Amino acid sequence: MSDLLHMTLASAMTEADLARFLVLSSLLFAVGLCGFLTRRNLIVMFLCTELMFQAAVIAFVAFGRWHWDFSGQVFVIFILTIAAAEAALALALVVLLHRRRNTLDADTWTELHE
Amino acid sequence: MNIVELLIPELILLAGSVACAIVGVSTRRSMRDALPAVAIAALGAAIAWTLCCGDTLAEAAPMPALSKWVTVVGCGLGMLLVLLNAGTADRDYEAAVAAGRTKFDPLRTTRGEFYVFMLLSIGGLLLAAKARDLIWLFLALELTSLPTYVMVAMSRREQRAQEASMKYFFLGAMSAAMFLYGFALLYGATGTVELAAMHEVFTAQQGDVGMIALVGMLLAILGIAFKLAAVPMHLYAADVYEGAASSVTAFLGFVPKAAGAIAVMGLLWTMGMHADGWLLPPMVEVMLWVMAVLTMTLGNVAALLQSSAKRMLGWSSVAHSGYILIGVIAGPDHGGWAAVLVYLLGYGLSNTGAFAALAALRRGGNEVESLEDLSGLAERHRGAAWTLAISSGSLLGFPPLLGFWGKLLLFIAGVSSGHIVLVVIAGLNSAISAAYYLKLVALPLMGASTARSREVEPLSVQWPRIAGLIAAAAVILLPIGLPAIAACAAAVLVN
Repeated sequence: MSDLLHMTLASAMTEADLARFLVLSSLLFAVGLCGFLTRRNLIVMFLCTELMFQAAVIAFVAFGRWHWDFSGQVFVIFILTIAAAEAALALALVVLLHRRRNTLDADTWTELHE
Repeated sequence: MNIVELLIPELILLAGSVACAIVGVSTRRSMRDALPAVAIAALGAAIAWTLCCGDTLAEAAPMPALSKWVTVVGCGLGMLLVLLNAGTADRDYEAAVAAGRTKFDPLRTTRGEFYVFMLLSIGGLLLAAKARDLIWLFLALELTSLPTYVMVAMSRREQRAQEASMKYFFLGAMSAAMFLYGFALLYGATGTVELAAMHEVFTAQQGDVGMIALVGMLLAILGIAFKLAAVPMHLYAADVYEGAASSVTAFLGFVPKAAGAIAVMGLLWTMGMHADGWLLPPMVEVMLWVMAVLTMTLGNVAALLQSSAKRMLGWSSVAHSGYILIGVIAGPDHGGWAAVLVYLLGYGLSNTGAFAALAALRRGGNEVESLEDLSGLAERHRGAAWTLAISSGSLLGFPPLLGFWGKLLLFIAGVSSGHIVLVVIAGLNSAISAAYYLKLVALPLMGASTARSREVEPLSVQWPRIAGLIAAAAVILLPIGLPAIAACAAAVLVN
């Protein structure tokens, strides 16, 4: 039974399916990268890096399903953990910066420059 | 070998960091003053265990002996960096407690955490050298970087430190996402996260690795370039290195950079190692080549234009990443990677020495930063002046200092792997770098005192000065053992 299930699931993903997942994930990555480069609000910039992380997550899950290999999904669990740690750090930093300047605009921080 | 045994050095560092966290909130001042000793003891124990019992560490990793080298060098330099950072965090608060102006409050102190972060970050470096799969490598790189973001923010009370931390963190998070996406594509192309299995897949493809794997490798290298501070991910370097306290800057200049270099080598190994020798896919090689040239040229030219010694050293550390990339391109076959390991040792010591000289001095309660502050330093602060001069000489690659031998090995590896143009460009860059490094040698030793430099005072804490002197002594003395060091580094890469 489990073999049959395995076969059914394994054959359910076609190359076109994989391509759809990859297009979604690369779009997400591109949106995140563009947002990171163009937006100046610290929280929005952080959310953009999160989008990029999630793009990688989708790619890992899709590839894991494609190869019928679970290490892609295992990887995702670790990525989520790291993303949570980074979120904690980001929010702590944002609170610290907001207390100092009362704004979340990255462009107000220009003491260090050439 | 069982995995716990494999990780004993890291577990020792973890135990050390827990001990630091506990000792740091002790209400007894003598206990808190022992914090650097606790951290150094943990690093020493990790080295001792590796030397005594760590013979077959990480046998499934691409380069089994690499982790031994990285543990000894990383923890050894880590001891110096801990010594250099002793008294960085909470210095004013501790002074106020000592003078009886305020009572010690465990909730207000951050001193213990500071050592915790250093030990964890060094632990990340050790783990990167042992990585046998992409998950491990990703976690190791993040473990190296996450603590450094906090260290930058808490190293100084000034807003500049917080600005530096913000820039460092946001670019760091972006670059992490980038190499993670690269890892995802590498996984997709090979169907495995294990480096050894990936290597088999790529070898079976006989050089034609396919578009997905190539793009994945390029993205991964671009993302990790952030840790190396290599072009195009170098933009943060000067700002962050200036904004953080000098002692923390020394840490940033070595630990993440070494982890990045090792991670790049581990990844390239999967794709470039063939039965008949080292051959990278042309696209990857071209990108590394362009990165190397841009990194060293931009770093050196920008350093030339600085009037702040700290920014100058920051940009110069960008340039050094360019030199390191020469060795990475040359590959394991022509002694390139062995040269990278020796170079990292020399660069780490010299960089630590140079920043230690800056960290050991104060001017009106602020850090010594501009070149003007350093002019004629030898008249009053002989130790710091000589430390700075020797370290800068070594960074320049002045014979017979350690930096020279590292650079020589890199250039030899570059030539023997056929990258003569690259080595010529690197030689020209060394000539450019002489212009500003010699300023750092000549100004403290022979410059005339200025009104600013007369106000420079030694720091109340002795440790940074001692760390600087040790680094300078090592830079002078280690070339005596160079054949042995180079042989060790070469042996690391034999499978």
